[in-house]
Amino acid sequence: MAHVELSQLTKAFGAVTVIPPLDLDIEAGEFLVLVGPSGCGKTTTLRMLAGLETASSGTISIAGQDVTDTRPGERDCAMVFQNYALYPHMSVRDNIGYAMRVHGAAPAEIEARVGEAAELLGLTPYLDRKPKNLSGGQRQRVAIGRALVRQPQVFLFDEPLSNLDAKLRVEMRTEIKLLQRRLGTTTVYVTHDQVEAMTMADRVVVMHAGRIEQAADPITLYERPANRFVANFIGSPAMNFLSARIEGGAVHVGGQRLPLDPADAARLGDRTSVAFGIRPEHMRQAEAEAALSFTPEVVEPLGAHTLLLGHVGEEKVVAQVDPRFPAAPGEPCTVPVDMTQAHFFDPETDIRL
Amino acid sequence: MHQTAGRGDAIKHVFMWPAFLIVLVVTLFPLIYALVVSFQAIRIVPPLPPRFVGVENYADILSSARFWGSMWTTSVIVFVSVALQFVIGFALALALHHNVPGANLYRVTFLLPMFLAPVCVALIARMIFHPYLGPVNDAMSGMGFGNIPFLTEPNLAVAVLITVEVWQWTPFVTLLMLAGLQSLPDEVFEAAKVDNIPAWRRFRDITFPMLLPLSVAVIFIRLIEGFKVIDTVFVLTGGGPGTATETLTLFAYNEGFKKFNLGYTSALSFTFLIIVIIVGTAYLAAAQRVMRRYA
Repeated sequence: MAHVELSQLTKAFGAVTVIPPLDLDIEAGEFLVLVGPSGCGKTTTLRMLAGLETASSGTISIAGQDVTDTRPGERDCAMVFQNYALYPHMSVRDNIGYAMRVHGAAPAEIEARVGEAAELLGLTPYLDRKPKNLSGGQRQRVAIGRALVRQPQVFLFDEPLSNLDAKLRVEMRTEIKLLQRRLGTTTVYVTHDQVEAMTMADRVVVMHAGRIEQAADPITLYERPANRFVANFIGSPAMNFLSARIEGGAVHVGGQRLPLDPADAARLGDRTSVAFGIRPEHMRQAEAEAALSFTPEVVEPLGAHTLLLGHVGEEKVVAQVDPRFPAAPGEPCTVPVDMTQAHFFDPETDIRL
Repeated sequence: MHQTAGRGDAIKHVFMWPAFLIVLVVTLFPLIYALVVSFQAIRIVPPLPPRFVGVENYADILSSARFWGSMWTTSVIVFVSVALQFVIGFALALALHHNVPGANLYRVTFLLPMFLAPVCVALIARMIFHPYLGPVNDAMSGMGFGNIPFLTEPNLAVAVLITVEVWQWTPFVTLLMLAGLQSLPDEVFEAAKVDNIPAWRRFRDITFPMLLPLSVAVIFIRLIEGFKVIDTVFVLTGGGPGTATETLTLFAYNEGFKKFNLGYTSALSFTFLIIVIIVGTAYLAAAQRVMRRYA
């Protein structure tokens, strides 16, 4: 049985339904990431799990207990907030140990657990400082320390790295992941950053307009996106989508013919209209002989690779090629296409074919 | 070069003198004049020529039982009423902040007393506590108590003054504390809720310390304002019975405008100023010590 179960959970603010019925099971010890664009309902879902928002209908259970109507404090969750939410007038030591102190833990035990958490998070030299005398990364570590001394059933993270600079974000990402692996605590992590989602999660839940578009491990999301939304959301730069038709075992796009992998050709058959998706990084080298010609309007050298930005027909296309690939703005070029990595979506329903 | 500097100097004087003169005429002159007068014996009725008496006025004040009486009365009214204003005002602000049903209606009605002139408030209170016509005594006799001399028994009169002060100025505390509460970050309290911190501990350990600087300022304003209380007392009891409810300002008023003893009144005003400065400084020093524990 799943550790955390959301079943037929909904949330409406007045007449506006932000979460249509949602079902999600989270296994014990799993690192689950909710990801999606702003306003997709991921934070609302997390807050309902924490008890900070009441569910309009449906049930939430943690460790087999129905907690739908339980007060936030009695769900045994610990939460880390985007803007840290530290108690500004308390030292780091007091911030971390406060909940234990209120709940009547023995001073020696508080001291030991706070010391342990501080050691784990590298906060030992700062225990007597106030939050205002810490950097953003240190503050977020205090917030994490405050969550983990409670040894809760579930960790909840609400975009905890959004307020940090890029370098620190990458460091903290690794730290949180290692920490979760070491503690083995079930974790639900909300972010709008797909890189964060992919790198940290055991399983990623991609949300859009309150619905779950796909819930899968990162590689499956990348290799077999369930629909066009997921395909577009996961991966950077985003996947190219070209209107195409399939005829005679090949994709026809903008007057060009790209032969299909025989297995795909047999599966898909002939189609008059299809959305052909190909990631920029799969326009680099190919076993197959397919190639796409277009005129790059912009060439962006990034060092490790170069991006070519142009149009095929009316549609934008980005190719990620080797840095020494012979291309110049305004001059037509031909890039190889790895057709084994091609994706096809129904143009009406956007579902993967 | 020299000429340019000279012209610059002239303009400097044009800008500087009006401001200086205004400060001189409006603030410094009256203050210095009053200080000078406080060292003289001046009577307007009957008119006597000013006579320099040194610190005699101040010595008289310090040895006057009436002064110490008014000092005691003022202190009791100020400290008790400000304490009650703060506690009740803060409690109301908390209730309004947590959106009790009908909070909008309460918000308006709670603020009304503050907008009334103290004289009106005192007149209303005088009717309410009137020994024969007032509704309070009506209710009291209805419940079998005798007629209570609210305004003519010294302790009761002070209690009534405190009640009126609290009634009028609690809204001010509520208003500022409510603004303070609304400026606190929600996440901190959400974090505490998720950590299962009971409501009263959230108040004691989080809300109260975070609002401490504001509380210190609000109490300071009310203390200073409270020491100046005169209109309420003047209308409600006139300082009576005898001088039992006479405050410092009312004492000064009686000396100045009933006896026209201007030298003595000036000295009294300066004594009053010094007392307010001492009380204010002592309060702020104490508050600093408390705040240092949290800041």
